[in-house]
Amino acid sequence: MLAGQLMDLRSMLHKQGVIFAYSGYVTEPVLSGVGEALKQKLTIDDADTKTLRSVFAIFVEQMQNIIRYSAEMQLAPPPPASDAGALKEIRYGILTIGREGVDYIVCAGNLVRQTDVERLRERLSRIRDMNKEELKALYKEKLRADPEEGSKGAGLGFMEIARRATQPIEFDFVEVDADYTFFALKATI
Amino acid sequence: MRDKLEIEATSRTPAVVFDFAGNHLKISGESYPEDVTEFYRPVFEALDEYLGGLGQGSCRFDFELIYLNSSSAKAVMMLMDKLEAAAANGASVDIHWLYDKEDDTMQELGEEFGEDLEFAKFHLEKMSV
Repeated sequence: MLAGQLMDLRSMLHKQGVIFAYSGYVTEPVLSGVGEALKQKLTIDDADTKTLRSVFAIFVEQMQNIIRYSAEMQLAPPPPASDAGALKEIRYGILTIGREGVDYIVCAGNLVRQTDVERLRERLSRIRDMNKEELKALYKEKLRADPEEGSKGAGLGFMEIARRATQPIEFDFVEVDADYTFFALKATI
Repeated sequence: MRDKLEIEATSRTPAVVFDFAGNHLKISGESYPEDVTEFYRPVFEALDEYLGGLGQGSCRFDFELIYLNSSSAKAVMMLMDKLEAAAANGASVDIHWLYDKEDDTMQELGEEFGEDLEFAKFHLEKMSV
């Protein structure tokens, strides 16, 4: 029973070509640790330098998107005043890295608020439909611009993913309930 | 004024070697810190202080970055802006962007930063690994 259940989960991932899967609360140390293992695996696979860097770069942006923006989160108790920089919340998401033929695939998913879905869909559609030159121009523009409201990074993450990917990015949404939608983003390298 | 700033590299942050006395500043390695603002704050502060006293002097800044995440790109742009401002004020500033020849993404990023420089002299070079 126990082994059967876990093996089913593992087989399902295997069938989809998944090499790494993480589902749960994501923190920066999780990113560091999984990132190190990913680098080792890519080195063993003898991936060329550009592929290795691109898979890794996309992995970092996808993980940091979950850490910063997943709407599924738990608040930590307030840290002592002496440690004001301590973690204030942890956020939940799922990330997989796998193969499809010769390509590497990095997928990430997390809950988003219904009220953010349209804005996210528009932004991603625009980025998906851009060629490399247009992406470069938008990247430069955003690099110079002030971060958007609610942004905790430079607002460049999706563009970095699209620029590093070898195919247009893919994304999808599934409504969960009145407040939340599950958002998935796939990058092919 | 301090004559140097040295920060050792970690797996997620670059090595910083600012030899202010020798007017040679360098950042090398990978940059995807947990907290970009916290990592770059002392770097910006030290650079501001140094450039404030540079006047008509000359300095060289080497970027030897293997990989940087998108939030670090913003920090690098701010470093470039500070150097460009010093050059606009009369300093002679040479910026060297070294990239791994097997990763054209970093080469392109360097080109993009270089395009925005008017007063600082920009040099795009392959790393000698």
